[in-house]
Amino acid sequence: MAERELQDILRKLKSSHDYSACSSLLSKAKITLLKLKALTPQPTTPSSTLQLAREVFEAGALLSIRAKDPDAFTRYVHQLTPFYELPPERLSPAHSEKNKITGLYLLLLLTQSDYAGFHTELEGLELRQGREGTLEQDRYLGYPIKLERWLMEGSYDLVWKAMASREVPSEEYGVFSEILISQIRHEIATCSQTAYPSLPISSTKNLLFLDSEGAVVEFAHTRGWLIKDGRIYFPQQSKVQVDEEGNTKELSQMAIENTLGYARELETIV
Amino acid sequence: MPSKTPHTNGDKPVENGVNGTKDVEMKEDAPAPLKGGKGKKIKEGEEEMTVVVPPSKGSKLSAPPKDTDGDVAMDGAEELNGEDAGAVKIDPVAKAVADIKSNFPLLERAVTLFDARFTLRALRSVSSIRKRLTPDILAQVITETYPSTSPAAKSLLVAIDREDASFTKPTSTEMDIDGESKSKSPKKEQKEVIPEVDIFLGILIQIYYLDNKINQKGAVFSAHLAERIHALNRRTLDSLSARVYFYWSLFCEQMAPLPPSPSSPVVSIRPALLAALRTAVLRKDIDTQSTVIVLLLRNYLSTSHIAQADLLVSHTKFPENASNNQVARYLYYLGRIRAVQLRYTEAHEHLTAATRKAPSSPSAAGFAQTAQKLLLVVELLMGDIPERATFRLASMERALQPYLLLVQAVRVGMLGEFENAIKQHGETFRRDGTYTLILRLRQNVIKTGIRMMSLSYSRISLRDICIRLKLESEESAEYIVAKAIRDGVIEASLDRERGFMKSKEVGDVYATREPGEAFHDRIRACLSLHDESVKAMRFPMNQHRLELKNAQEARERERELVKDIQDGDLDEDDLGGEFEGL
Repeated sequence: MAERELQDILRKLKSSHDYSACSSLLSKAKITLLKLKALTPQPTTPSSTLQLAREVFEAGALLSIRAKDPDAFTRYVHQLTPFYELPPERLSPAHSEKNKITGLYLLLLLTQSDYAGFHTELEGLELRQGREGTLEQDRYLGYPIKLERWLMEGSYDLVWKAMASREVPSEEYGVFSEILISQIRHEIATCSQTAYPSLPISSTKNLLFLDSEGAVVEFAHTRGWLIKDGRIYFPQQSKVQVDEEGNTKELSQMAIENTLGYARELETIV
Repeated sequence: MPSKTPHTNGDKPVENGVNGTKDVEMKEDAPAPLKGGKGKKIKEGEEEMTVVVPPSKGSKLSAPPKDTDGDVAMDGAEELNGEDAGAVKIDPVAKAVADIKSNFPLLERAVTLFDARFTLRALRSVSSIRKRLTPDILAQVITETYPSTSPAAKSLLVAIDREDASFTKPTSTEMDIDGESKSKSPKKEQKEVIPEVDIFLGILIQIYYLDNKINQKGAVFSAHLAERIHALNRRTLDSLSARVYFYWSLFCEQMAPLPPSPSSPVVSIRPALLAALRTAVLRKDIDTQSTVIVLLLRNYLSTSHIAQADLLVSHTKFPENASNNQVARYLYYLGRIRAVQLRYTEAHEHLTAATRKAPSSPSAAGFAQTAQKLLLVVELLMGDIPERATFRLASMERALQPYLLLVQAVRVGMLGEFENAIKQHGETFRRDGTYTLILRLRQNVIKTGIRMMSLSYSRISLRDICIRLKLESEESAEYIVAKAIRDGVIEASLDRERGFMKSKEVGDVYATREPGEAFHDRIRACLSLHDESVKAMRFPMNQHRLELKNAQEARERERELVKDIQDGDLDEDDLGGEFEGL
């Protein structure tokens, strides 16, 4: 009875593209699941209900991504985890969006710069499906993994290309591109600040993946860079020197503290 | 004593009395019914010799519970059995039986003196018994230890498929006693076999299952055993119960769907372990607590539930005075968790401690190797190059071979070699669980490569960097170098228009804080080592009183000495006077 109701809702969910309609449908679906006691997999839940529950959560996850609601998405991912961990004879992995959603979750962690979370998740994946082919070859999972590697290395141009060249595995992944681009632009800016003494505006455009020189000027202003004779100068040299002076002061203080510490310890020993 | 040997029935001495000397006699008498037709005379002769030395120990061991005649008879019977078998060294079965039984007095002593050290000593002997365990030996021990009515013995026998084994020995003593003195039989029940012995035998059965890969039954049996321990609630069982949980979890790990699969039995044991942990904490049972925490961590990591493992670590406090091996294991798992979470400094700290605390005996080489492997990878990830000497250790050399290649590649910053090493030994790394960590090393290889170039050239074009590092494009090279500069890997600057990297002058290392920090680290390590060794020292009880007494005596002696000296001074003066006078 309740199951049929759920199927109806799911069918409606798939046909509808309106966010508010979908979210109300979803909450209805979740209430039905609650009645079926299938919000989390119980040992007594029949597999058909499990299947439906998983579909509901997957739909919810994808919807929240489209609605750019990372918190809701994370919630759905956590709700899905116990379903994904069920043995295949209880819940067949066919028709599951597991890889897609896990990939999206990884990407989300990446955009939040939660590298620890990213690697924790990845470690689990590696162990669990290390047997059947590597993760990198998976269309959905390989994408965030590659992005992370390039980000860590600093090959920002590759990240940019991957996002620009429609290598993105599905439309939901596109949502993150925006965030990632602004993130890497920020990274590049801090890198160039220390790496270059000065930069011509024209090449900064390419460097930062900006569309026009006007955008470069605007960006430079937000970061407080000086623009003179068509070049950008980075006002950081003086700051570093202050830092160094602070360091030397700290250094001598630390040496004194340490030596006093040793003296005290020696006294307790002798 | 030899004159008493003709007594063939074991019950005579019981009538005789209970003092120490009679104890010894009994030992000689009782074996008579045991021995069949084989060389009785010779054996008796042997016995005389063997008995001469151990009786004092034997009588001492059985002394505490000796309050009724029946007791002594039983004890005597056990004792003698051990000795009897000890004398006949040719028979390995008897020897094994004797070895197992020799632990019971230790356990009894642990209970009466309430000192866990005796239990630990008994557990230590397990490794030597382990190789010789068979159901028949166990059945023999059980039938000879328990009275036939004991339900504990029944369940143990069922567990090893020897339920039909006849209770040869104790039945006879029972009958003897019943026949001799019926009034004493209720008293006799006081002297039951202590539960510690039950559990000890249970552990032996667990080990037998484990060595013969009877995992399913082993797990069921362990569950019952754990339940029994829980119901007994005796502090003297603590270190034994830690063992029980340890083997239980081992069974679960080896059962059908192996750990990485989420439906493996390791998942189902978690609630039991968590409950055990809770109880152990409440009862301040340090042995079980530390063992179970380690088991849980191992459990979580085997299915790579790192988040859960991390939560467990943050919500529990590992007992400070846990046994060294458990501490080493705990540190290893902690290091592993931290490494996955990219907290390399902490991981490094924990893993170094784990490798140092790892027992150096050859039987623990596996642990040392595993910990060392992980430590190497973490060191590489931190940007350090492990010392060459690590790879030369005899116990490590072969196991670390793949890692040596890896280190060499990282050291010189050759991306090609690094990828070769991964391709070649990928399976090994995967098996060691270091694969994902090693994949992260790629960026370190690139960084080292850049550093090498920045050290050797004062100016190098981006194109050359790109070729050397086998990067995909000059653009990537530029971004990578920029990032390296930002991260402080190299001291250099980039020139975008002309496309080269210009290195800055390298400062003197000794002018920086680096040497000071290295020195500080080492001093701190030494100091903490000192603190730990002070804490680890064990002082005998009441020793200080003795010292006080000694000191007092010494003071008195001193006083006398002073007196003497004063007298002597006078004498000297006198002498001097005399001399002067002369």
